[in-house]
Amino acid sequence: MGDNAIMREQKLFKVVGTRPVRPDGTPKVTGLAQFGADFALPGMLWGDILRSPHAHARIRSINTAKARALPGVKAVITSADFPEQKFEYVGPERVAVNYWHMTRNVMAREKVLYEGHAVAAVAAVSKAVAAEALRLIEVDYEVLPHVIDVDEAMRPDAPLLFENMITRGIEPAPTKPSNISKRIELKLGDIEAGFAAADEIVELNFKTAPVHQGYIEPHACLARFETGGQGEIWASSQGHFVVRAYTAKLLNMNIGDVLVHPAEIGGGFGGKTVIYVEPVAAALSRKTGHPVKIMMSREDVFKATGPTSGASMTVKIGVKKDGRIVAADGLFKYQAGAFPGSPVMNGVMCGFAPYNIPNVRSVGYDVVCNRPKSAAYRAPGSPISAFAVESVMDAVAARIGMDPLKFRLMNAAKVGTPTTWGPKHAYDSYAYTVQALLDHPAYSAKLGKNQGRGVASGFWFNNGGESSATVHINEDGTVVIATGSMDIGGSRASMAIMAAETLGIDYTSVRSIVADTGSIGYTHVTGGSRVTYATGTAVVEACKKVIGELCARAAMIWDVDKGDVIWEDGCAMPAGKISGKFEPLSLKAIAAKRAVTGGPIGAEASVNAGGFAPGFASELCEVEVDPETGAVKILRFIVAQDVGRAIHPSYVEGQMQGGAVQGIGWALNEEYIYGPDGKLQNAGFLDYRIPVASDLPMIEALMVEVPNPNHPFGAKGVGEVNIVPAMAAVANAINHAIGRRLTELPMSPPKILDALNSPRRG
Amino acid sequence: MAAAPARVVLIGGLGSYYTGGVSEFEIEAKTLHDVIRGLDERCPGLGEYLVEEESTVAIDGEIHQIGYHHPVRPGCEIFFIPSIEGG
Amino acid sequence: MAKHHVTTTVNGNGVEFLCETQQTLLEVLRDELHLTGTKEGCGTGDCGACSITIDGRLVCSCLMLGVEAQGKSIQTIEGMATGEKLHPLQRKFLEHAALQCGVCTPGFLMAAQSLLERNPDPTEEEVRFWLAGNLCRCTGYNKIIDAVLDAAREIRGN
Repeated sequence: MGDNAIMREQKLFKVVGTRPVRPDGTPKVTGLAQFGADFALPGMLWGDILRSPHAHARIRSINTAKARALPGVKAVITSADFPEQKFEYVGPERVAVNYWHMTRNVMAREKVLYEGHAVAAVAAVSKAVAAEALRLIEVDYEVLPHVIDVDEAMRPDAPLLFENMITRGIEPAPTKPSNISKRIELKLGDIEAGFAAADEIVELNFKTAPVHQGYIEPHACLARFETGGQGEIWASSQGHFVVRAYTAKLLNMNIGDVLVHPAEIGGGFGGKTVIYVEPVAAALSRKTGHPVKIMMSREDVFKATGPTSGASMTVKIGVKKDGRIVAADGLFKYQAGAFPGSPVMNGVMCGFAPYNIPNVRSVGYDVVCNRPKSAAYRAPGSPISAFAVESVMDAVAARIGMDPLKFRLMNAAKVGTPTTWGPKHAYDSYAYTVQALLDHPAYSAKLGKNQGRGVASGFWFNNGGESSATVHINEDGTVVIATGSMDIGGSRASMAIMAAETLGIDYTSVRSIVADTGSIGYTHVTGGSRVTYATGTAVVEACKKVIGELCARAAMIWDVDKGDVIWEDGCAMPAGKISGKFEPLSLKAIAAKRAVTGGPIGAEASVNAGGFAPGFASELCEVEVDPETGAVKILRFIVAQDVGRAIHPSYVEGQMQGGAVQGIGWALNEEYIYGPDGKLQNAGFLDYRIPVASDLPMIEALMVEVPNPNHPFGAKGVGEVNIVPAMAAVANAINHAIGRRLTELPMSPPKILDALNSPRRG
Repeated sequence: MAAAPARVVLIGGLGSYYTGGVSEFEIEAKTLHDVIRGLDERCPGLGEYLVEEESTVAIDGEIHQIGYHHPVRPGCEIFFIPSIEGG
Repeated sequence: MAKHHVTTTVNGNGVEFLCETQQTLLEVLRDELHLTGTKEGCGTGDCGACSITIDGRLVCSCLMLGVEAQGKSIQTIEGMATGEKLHPLQRKFLEHAALQCGVCTPGFLMAAQSLLERNPDPTEEEVRFWLAGNLCRCTGYNKIIDAVLDAAREIRGN
């Protein structure tokens, strides 16, 4: 699998594993870095979007005449300004991209399917005029009954979002339409025989509420298009190539006619791998011939961008007295939101993945309902199913009187263990994460009154895929690395580190930038824990190519055979029969002679990286529950994660800490609260309560390094798996503290008080 | 003596439109491209569909994006999975 | 409706601008004065990304109107460094990797600076409670707290 020379050398790395300051750091601490909303152009118009006040309604008509007549309004658009798209599922089926759905999510056509659904947009000379214009647009709605809760949406008498939706994945296909877009089932072994052989069985039901990714930066972009023609977009997103592709598709343009500049991005977590405002701004710009800027309000972000699924689940695990799990059965019903495509398949595949279970069945349902379409959120689908599975694991361990970590170790997946979805595990790393917690002194520390300790584990695939990178040697011997990966968490630092290590030069002589869609090859999204792995691989490939070129140039300078030149410690060195005959040539020296040896020196590499190793995490949580208020205080939180190799340890720790805290928020406070009218009641950060600094202790990050043999430096994805075990770890800790198991998220104070007031259960 | 064929499985109902519900195949192959051609022979259109789907594929447990060049050893296990998207 | 003419001081510089009645100070800073370092995260004073100081007092600029800046002295993130020299807090944030996406960072730096001006030797708990008005979704706050405590140490000279 490629040249693993760097790994095989086994020497200590010079730069990989160190903690230098990121090369893009100063602009971010001085306010100079430009995020999606920070761009402006002369003649710029402000765009704003009219959104449905109803959870479910047919659009009878839209009258934009008054809005168009308002002085200062330059364009008003509706779905009529977007071409219709063919109804077909294309591309990845798990997060099914169907442009028929996508165009309707960006701008509603026949119906509005959630409060906040976009129905029209305007471009005007100021924000105030744009807002006034929206007020003048008249939409005639026929309000329809709505349904939001996943169990209710699955009922045969539930209001239908799509009158012709027939569930896929059921043979024979149902005759009646429903809100169930898809059913999936994965099976291994014989669960009936498995459960028959079990000594103890625990079966529990779970419910989770939708939660938002909660990025602090609302979606924003600036579009500048020729009237009816080509154009550019400055956007913060998790993938400017995806922004380009989707925008072009929705406007029936050639991909090459759209150029996307990557702005800095203020958080994404998956929620910015999809588009909302870009095609709207582009359409308005094309219509007016002026640049158009759109920035979503926080309220619109909550109401109209995808939170993850709420879910209803049942998990049953059967075990022998000695601790061996003999059977497991899971039912996972996930809200997709207004259009199909919840991450239920991920949930189904990941839930039991850390374990060696001979008889397993997982069934998943993707269910549409009247709330925004779900978007990816950090290991999409996996944290939800893990909440259920890891809670039952905890209950089972308690039932047989076994230590919960030792129980997991006994049943840990190893190389060769089959997964529910077929392939055998190729890696042993799960057990290391459990052992790391077992070995931690906190695990056996004494706890006080109303305090409890819980553990949980989780799995995530990580990802690879298409990435491109270029490396250019500047005239002074310094280096510029460019990639197509938006930098959402410090990846420019790790790209520079990998380049410096490969080239054998000082970190400070490497500049690392993110190039626009016209300047570099296709690169897939910054998400899915793929950048350090796949884009890093591309960077290393490009650097190796340039090393070949540098050696060739040195050979020309010395007038020797290229085969006698090697690259060591950042210099071309004479070797073989000319060993010692010439002084080493640094990058600077070779760059100085570039013109006479053939011209500028650079290289590009594009990869479709495979062999991305999955990630495991095990987490330990200690809580103290206040019996009077139901408030839960997190006393301690430890994340043990197999990280492959930490290219820049500070940023790996940062991912682990950030993911854990999102999981804590998901566990304790975060939820979408809908009124009986289907309207969101907490569309702001005051009442959608994410963790603040005073809620938390220091999060301890234990990086377990089991190098990934498929990456030049052993790296693998680290961004996502850390959120997967968090909610169950908190739930298990609360159960330990108060002797009551909460099976509904969030475990907010009223729910804790309710639980405390109910009799103790097993 | 022919080399042992690879065991090829399509999971989660992937491509069922082309396979009529069959999900397991035995295909003699040296590369993933051979596997895709083999699938196309048995179920016309299936191979192209998997490529367009940008399926994820697990070869002996190692996960990759679908690519023609991946070597396939005799008797290995190949699972085609609907492509994984992260966040 | 005629705009208002406002005279104020921003980062030590005398500044004049025109603004509409309803424009917030945040909008004015970003859209009229092109100081985009101060961010809008929520527009309702809940996230702290728009934190600035006005006559030395830490405020959310989205909760003030542009006209209220008349005659006041405003400091934004753009005024934190002194020429080429970064403030110790800015340096420590970089050293400690206390930012990932960086959008909340200007607000945190303004808030932390305000804390250390009042309390040069805060405990971890005091830092956490002072910064409870600034939301970060990326870091889990760990390295932010580390950076603030380390900067405080350096500023105190121990």
